[in-house]
Amino acid sequence: MASHSSGPHLSVRSVLSLGGLLLVLTLVTVLVSFVDLGKLNFFVAALVAICKATIVLYFFMNLRHDSRDNAVIFLTSLVFLTIFFVLTSVDVFFRGDVKVKGAFFQAVASVTKKPWIKTPELVAHGKEQYAIQCAMCHGAVGAGNGPAAAALVPPPRDFTKPDGWKNGRKATMVFKTLKDGLAGSAMASYATLPEDDRWALAHYIISLGSEPPADTAEDFAVIGIDPNKEGSTVIKEPKITIRQAMALLQTSSSGGRLYTGSAEGQYGQLCASCHGDKGQGGIKVGQYGLYAVTKPFDRAMTEDAIIASIRGTAHRVTTLSQEELTALARFVQNAAKR
Amino acid sequence: MRHHAHHFASAEAEFEASKQGMWVFLVTEVLMFGGLLVGYGIFRNLYPEAFHEAHKHLAVSLGAINTVFLISSSVTMALAVTYTQMGKRVAASCSLIGTLTLAFSFLCVKYVEYSHKFHDGLLPAGYFTNTELKLPEAPLFFSLYFMTTGLHMLHVLIGMGLLIWILRRTWSGELSSGYCTPTELVGFYWHFVDLVWIFLFPLLYLVG
Repeated sequence: MASHSSGPHLSVRSVLSLGGLLLVLTLVTVLVSFVDLGKLNFFVAALVAICKATIVLYFFMNLRHDSRDNAVIFLTSLVFLTIFFVLTSVDVFFRGDVKVKGAFFQAVASVTKKPWIKTPELVAHGKEQYAIQCAMCHGAVGAGNGPAAAALVPPPRDFTKPDGWKNGRKATMVFKTLKDGLAGSAMASYATLPEDDRWALAHYIISLGSEPPADTAEDFAVIGIDPNKEGSTVIKEPKITIRQAMALLQTSSSGGRLYTGSAEGQYGQLCASCHGDKGQGGIKVGQYGLYAVTKPFDRAMTEDAIIASIRGTAHRVTTLSQEELTALARFVQNAAKR
Repeated sequence: MRHHAHHFASAEAEFEASKQGMWVFLVTEVLMFGGLLVGYGIFRNLYPEAFHEAHKHLAVSLGAINTVFLISSSVTMALAVTYTQMGKRVAASCSLIGTLTLAFSFLCVKYVEYSHKFHDGLLPAGYFTNTELKLPEAPLFFSLYFMTTGLHMLHVLIGMGLLIWILRRTWSGELSSGYCTPTELVGFYWHFVDLVWIFLFPLLYLVG
């Protein structure tokens, strides 16, 4: 243990040379950052930072002459920081599918009761199912070139190309193919899969190529489904996975289009999850751990003010046309007055 | 030689106890910044593209200049401790003034940086209005940027207050070779502020 009254623990010359060394290391880390070394950039930066930190701790903060207790005390904080980081990472990256529910996701869960309506979460679910059920033959990205494809005559369909689809390229028709299979090919019936999984697959497979024409009433008649009735038998609980919830939050905050149609429908898709089905508010919404509670609609707001708000920074809904915006604003105004 | 408080065996024991208290305080500081750093680490791994795009909007040159200012201020701080221990009152005071000047320069650069960010709408979470950066997680980067650098800047401000206090006591001759515990401990605090920046600079500006 150094006696602190027995003169300085660092000479002026050593302070200056250590300072010079720290500045050289700073120069090194800045210069290296301009060279693209891929992942190595991070490790070089971390290594230089640790070297600099060690110099500061060891010499400027005099840990080299300090009692061992103080070194242990300080290093303990770094140990706890590491534990904090490792446990949090394990939780975040290996959490698996925890289901969430709540008013915010009610709308999604009820849409899923009509699984023929494409939603981001159905597509996401379809992608997972695709990897298990289809990728072996149809390939990882749907180009019809999976590991088992070479053995098949006729070859598996290339989902990225629009032509040649035997039943037609629509969600309903892919659903039909999954139900019945395709005679004269290796495509068997997948009717044993739950209906929701088949719809999810249909939406995902269609999403691999360009946007197809919409399903008509006749298409639904062919597969024997009334699109106006709720059809799902599997998703009963209004719960969705965290991953789906995050995807949904992102889509709705960046103004992604989920629904086209009447102002009421648009309200239901874009607004109701946060503002309530009748605009009553009182729903906790947020992102990145920052939350706010919505207020009931303001009766005094003019149509222009509502449109400005829909397009404004809080919503950023940029995909609606002027007509759609006006219709939606009128709908909101009426909801506020009721 | 300054007399020590009666519950300490000697002036040296008193100094060692104060220093240990300082180390324990620095542990709490590590854990406070640690919370933000862990948050940064997790989100950077979750959204690497957004963080990479967002970090390009930070000025590396300004960050590097500030790193030079802070490291130099650590050097002048260490000199202040050395000169005080040697009993050189004027040299010690000048070193402290140098440290304060460098700290003030750091704040000036920070002001320039922050005003650019405000002007470009590169602000935390809901206040983010920049239209060039379209990735939805980009505001998150700026939330972390402002929280980490803001908390660090608060430490610089507090440190400057402490430096002024030390400067007055050094100039009046109160702190000298016989007794300089406050100088040494404020030095510890100041080096720690430098230490935090040593990690913040590469994490935010360089690797993104």
